[in-house]
Amino acid sequence: MEQPDPTIHQPVRLKIMAALKALPHGEAIEFVRLKAIVGATEGNLGAHITTLEDAGYVAVEKDFVGKRPRTRVAMTLQGRRAFDVYVAYLQEIIGAATSA
Amino acid sequence: MSLSSQEAQASLSQVEEATRRSSQLYFYHRSSPHLIMWGIIWIIGYGGTGLFPQYSNPLWAVLVLIGCAGGVILGRCSKPDGVKSGPYAWRFAALWAVILFFVFATYAILQPQHGRQFAAYPALITGSVYMAVGLWSGLRYVISGMVVVALTLIGFFYIEPIFFWFAAVGGGAMILTGLWFRTV
Repeated sequence: MEQPDPTIHQPVRLKIMAALKALPHGEAIEFVRLKAIVGATEGNLGAHITTLEDAGYVAVEKDFVGKRPRTRVAMTLQGRRAFDVYVAYLQEIIGAATSA
Repeated sequence: MSLSSQEAQASLSQVEEATRRSSQLYFYHRSSPHLIMWGIIWIIGYGGTGLFPQYSNPLWAVLVLIGCAGGVILGRCSKPDGVKSGPYAWRFAALWAVILFFVFATYAILQPQHGRQFAAYPALITGSVYMAVGLWSGLRYVISGMVVVALTLIGFFYIEPIFFWFAAVGGGAMILTGLWFRTV
């Protein structure tokens, strides 16, 4: 890969993708939990999730638990593939530097 | 746009840290309902044993069966439709099976003579297992295990009546731990 995926190649979005990839396939994570992992503000996290959603990398579900609104985010199959490719790209760079 | 190896290494470190944290919180979240359920079982079991000691064996037999069945139901209910059981689902069931087997096998070999020993031993083992699990799964488990073990030893050596102590602090500690695990 010549260039890193520009959608994932951003620190907050990279952390979001890594956090989602750690979950079993098909599992979603609540927005508040994701916020704690990523360490971003609500608005910032929301904006980055929208970017990832537009790229087809994550799916967002909104529902209610009792009267409380809940937002959950899950990684799509397309997102998993893109993340794997991105991580392989990083490892390739490190590998090339090590062997040089 | 190309990355240096230092930048790539820094990005990979971020990935590893986010992955570790996400797995840890997921484990806490999934184990929370199980801990609350077992806390309630402990309260009923130890409280019932204190009130009606003659019925303690059938009471605990029924409660353990309820706990095992409840664990399976909770595991199935907490996963979304179409998602296969995660690696933690069967490990929880297996973990409780190992604890119960170890406790009853030790009773058979060592044959404790006093009610206090019967009461304290499972709590001591449970607390120790929490601490061991926490070495891999997160600090909250280690802290919870230490609290359970400390309360167990205090109860064993200094508290009377011991069954109500275990009902209150053992069961209570498990429920509080479960609630703690739900926070973020």
